[in-house]
Amino acid sequence: MRIDRQIDRMDIAELKAELETLHSASFGWALNCCRRDRAEAEEVLQMVYLKILEGKACFRGEASLKTWLFAVIRKTAIGEHRKNILRKLRWSDGSEATRTLVSPLEQPGAAFEKSETQALFQSAMKSLPRRQREALHLVFYQDLSLSEAAEVMGISIGSARQHYDRGKKRLREYLGQTESAYGISWRGKENPGAV
Amino acid sequence: MELVGEEKRIQALFSEARHADEQTTPTFVGVWNRAQSKTIRTPRAFNLSFVAATALLVCALVSLAWWVNRSPRSQNVLVANAPPISNVVPKDVQQPGGFEPANDPGSKPVTQPRSGERSRALILAARRQAVLVAASKKTLRDAKAIESWQSPTATLLDSPSEGLLKTLPQMNQSVDELKSFLPNQPK
Repeated sequence: MRIDRQIDRMDIAELKAELETLHSASFGWALNCCRRDRAEAEEVLQMVYLKILEGKACFRGEASLKTWLFAVIRKTAIGEHRKNILRKLRWSDGSEATRTLVSPLEQPGAAFEKSETQALFQSAMKSLPRRQREALHLVFYQDLSLSEAAEVMGISIGSARQHYDRGKKRLREYLGQTESAYGISWRGKENPGAV
Repeated sequence: MELVGEEKRIQALFSEARHADEQTTPTFVGVWNRAQSKTIRTPRAFNLSFVAATALLVCALVSLAWWVNRSPRSQNVLVANAPPISNVVPKDVQQPGGFEPANDPGSKPVTQPRSGERSRALILAARRQAVLVAASKKTLRDAKAIESWQSPTATLLDSPSEGLLKTLPQMNQSVDELKSFLPNQPK
C-alpha cells in the first residue's frame, strides 16, 4: 500500500511537470470551451487538476498527454456549462450579477477584446456552432492535426474535417461581411461631409 | 498543416488571440494549489456525510424496531407465526434422562417469518418449552417414586413354599419328587 502511494506520488510529480508545460495551452482551450469566460475557464482548469489529483481522470498513455488533457478539459467544461444552466434556471438573476462582479480576470481580457479586429474575430467565433469552433481552435490555436482534434472532440476524423471546413467557410463569410460593413461605417466616420 | 491565403489570416488572428491569452493566464502553481487544497478538504466532507448517513440509518432502524415492538398487531402476528414447540429446543434447557420432545413425522416444516419476528417468536417458544420441560421433569420424578414404593405389609405375604411356586420342575428331577407336586395322589 505504501509503495503504491509512493509510486502514485512520483507519477503525480511527473505529471505535474508535464501539466505545467501545457498549462498555457490548456487555459486557452478551457477559454474556448467556456465561451471565453475567464473565471469559468479557470474554475474548469482547477476542476481538471482536481480530477487528476483524485485519480478520477487517469492518463493511461493511450493517446498523447495533450489530447487526453484537452479531452478532459472539454468534458469538464461541458459538464460545468450544463450545471451553470441549471443553476441559472433555479436561481434569480441576482446571482448572475454577483458572478460578473466577482470574476477578477474579466477586465484585461475584455480590454484586449476591445481591439477592433479581435473583437470582430471573437464575435465571429462565438457565432459558430460549438463543434466548428472547437475544430478551428484546435487546428489554428493549438496547432494540432485533424486526427488529434478528432481525438480530443471524441469524433471520427471525417466528422472533424467536415466541422473544420464548414467552420472555416462560415468564419470567412462572417469576417468578410462584418469587415465590409465596418469599412463603410469607418469611412463614413472618417469623412462625414462626403456622404 | 500547410496554410494558404485566408487560412493564414485566420491563423494570424488565432495567434494574436493566443498571445493575449498567455498574458492573462493564471499561474499554474496557483491553480494547482487550489485544486490540491480542495482534495484535502474533500475526504473530511465525505467522512461527515458518511457519519451523518450512518446516524440517520441507525435512528431509522431503532425507531422501526421500537414501532414493531409497540404495535399490538405485530404481537398477534408473532404469536400466530410462532413455530410449534416441538420444533424448537432451547440450548440452555437440559433434557432429563435423554428425554426429547416427540417430533411428528407427518408434520410439515413451518414457514419462516421475518428475522425480527422470528427471533421474538423463538424467545416466546423457548419460554413455553422451558415451562413444559420443568413440568415433565416433575412428572418423571413422581413416576420414579411410585415405581420404587413398597407396601409396609408386603413381608406378610411371603410363604415358605414360595420357591416352589416360582420355579418350574426340571427334566432331570426324580419321579418321586415330581409326584410330590401332584395334587391328588391315589392312596
